[in-house]
Amino acid sequence: MGSAVIRASRAETRHGGASAHPLVGWIVPVLLLAAWQLISGIGWLPERILPEPWAVVRAAYRLAASGELWEDTEISAARALGGLAIGGGLGFALGLLTGLSRVAETALDSTLQMVRNVPPLAMIPLVILWFGIDEGAKLFLVALGVFFPIYLNTFHGIRSVDRDLIEMARSYGLTRWQLYRDVIFPGALPSILVGLRFSLGLMWVMLIVAETISASSGIGYMTMNAREFLQTDVVMVGILLYALLGKLADLVARGLERYCLRWHPSYRAR
Amino acid sequence: MSRQLVQSHREKAALRLDGPPTATGCEELPALGLVPELGSRSTRPGLRPCSAGSGTHLSVDGLVKRYDGRSVLHGLSLQIEAGVFVAIVGRSGCGKSTLLRIIAGLDRPSSGTVTLTTPIGERRPRVRLMFQEARLLPWKSVLANVALGLPKSVPGEALAVLHEVGLADRAASWPAELSGGQRQRVALARALLHKPDLLLLDEPLGALDALTRIEMQALIEQLWKEHGFTALLVTHDVQEAIALADRVLFIEDGGIAFDQRVDLSRPRARGSADFARLENDALGRVLRSDPNRDALV
Repeated sequence: MGSAVIRASRAETRHGGASAHPLVGWIVPVLLLAAWQLISGIGWLPERILPEPWAVVRAAYRLAASGELWEDTEISAARALGGLAIGGGLGFALGLLTGLSRVAETALDSTLQMVRNVPPLAMIPLVILWFGIDEGAKLFLVALGVFFPIYLNTFHGIRSVDRDLIEMARSYGLTRWQLYRDVIFPGALPSILVGLRFSLGLMWVMLIVAETISASSGIGYMTMNAREFLQTDVVMVGILLYALLGKLADLVARGLERYCLRWHPSYRAR
Repeated sequence: MSRQLVQSHREKAALRLDGPPTATGCEELPALGLVPELGSRSTRPGLRPCSAGSGTHLSVDGLVKRYDGRSVLHGLSLQIEAGVFVAIVGRSGCGKSTLLRIIAGLDRPSSGTVTLTTPIGERRPRVRLMFQEARLLPWKSVLANVALGLPKSVPGEALAVLHEVGLADRAASWPAELSGGQRQRVALARALLHKPDLLLLDEPLGALDALTRIEMQALIEQLWKEHGFTALLVTHDVQEAIALADRVLFIEDGGIAFDQRVDLSRPRARGSADFARLENDALGRVLRSDPNRDALV
């Protein structure tokens, strides 16, 4: 009798989605990696298509030791963050303006919505004509890519701030500046941060494209250069580096969200 | 005393936002846009309730309010002496909340005046409004919500007021962690910190469960006695009105239909014969006033 009861409750926990060990998530990637190494080792996978994982690790080490890796990563990161600062800053400022002022909304919003329909990558020919293959071209493309998510979400965030809270704040004698700082900006922040996360994804896409088209430094240059010499291992290092940086940016954004929105029940939960 | 009771959903009234809600049709009305001059007042050590708000005489004269040609208030006049607790009852849409919003300076009257006079000094009377919903800023701690709009030197006082409403231990909590009743207590503390001469209460207990509501009524009565402000409570609950108010006004069709004095001694026992008689009388008049009885809450 007693054992039957115990067995029943065990089955229940299993079905109730008792949390699995966190390492379980790593089983599939590790198996894939092992299979890749094995296939390359046997020689079924030509080096020109895909080098063995170990070769990628060696290439990464070689590049790191020579300092080339850090230099290129630094340059790429500077371009990405510079573009983000310019495009994101502009998007935030304009979103603030159109969000707070009906006049600015009428004057600017329809224009911006029209421009938004142009895919940023379609601008490449023009960008090359304007900036050549300078740093300016890369900054412009990244800035263009990150501008709209931040602009739209800032605008939307400000417009969706609870009117009752604004009325309350006014009736409690808040000055205009206090009203922005204590009510409107924090109220719009969840939406702004969503825009930031979107932007961070686009930021790397735009940078990769810009660096692949033309560059004499940066991760994109490193990979394109390696392609010329059929160094697939270096190409793989570049690709993985982009992935790593993208993941890093996402982690930072998520950390920011968790800190800034810690008052929010749905962000506090995890 | 468990306050973790069920939280009700509140309805949010869509409100007008264009332009600051400061000016009304009257010169004497307090400018809500002004931060009270807390720096000049002596800071209170410890947790003694303040007595700076001293009650204001409220005079409403020929108030008319029209929305899109529809008349909500027509020619409403009203005198309330300083320090008195007045309750306004009426059906939904009778204009009672509109009256309160005009007195608070959130809406402008179409015509008519609202005059506030304090017995002491030249100081402008301070008016604070407690809304139907607590309207706390979810991104600020309870303490920061109470001290909203006041200089940085206030936290000590904010904590003292929070203590008065029995929530000093929740000062660091987020509003989302509080129950509906606790949130209204915080809103009450926020209003009290401004040391109002006139406290307007726009059905602040409407969304609370019955037990919490009775506790809140006792708290409001106690704080009113200690602080001495004039209180104007809008409610749809006749019993609540009789339990708290010195005078019960019934608003109907944009005017005052009756004005009932309540001379029961405080604290009032709801079960007493006098209480029940008054409640019956008032309820009877409210019910008689409209054939559509089902509509009454």
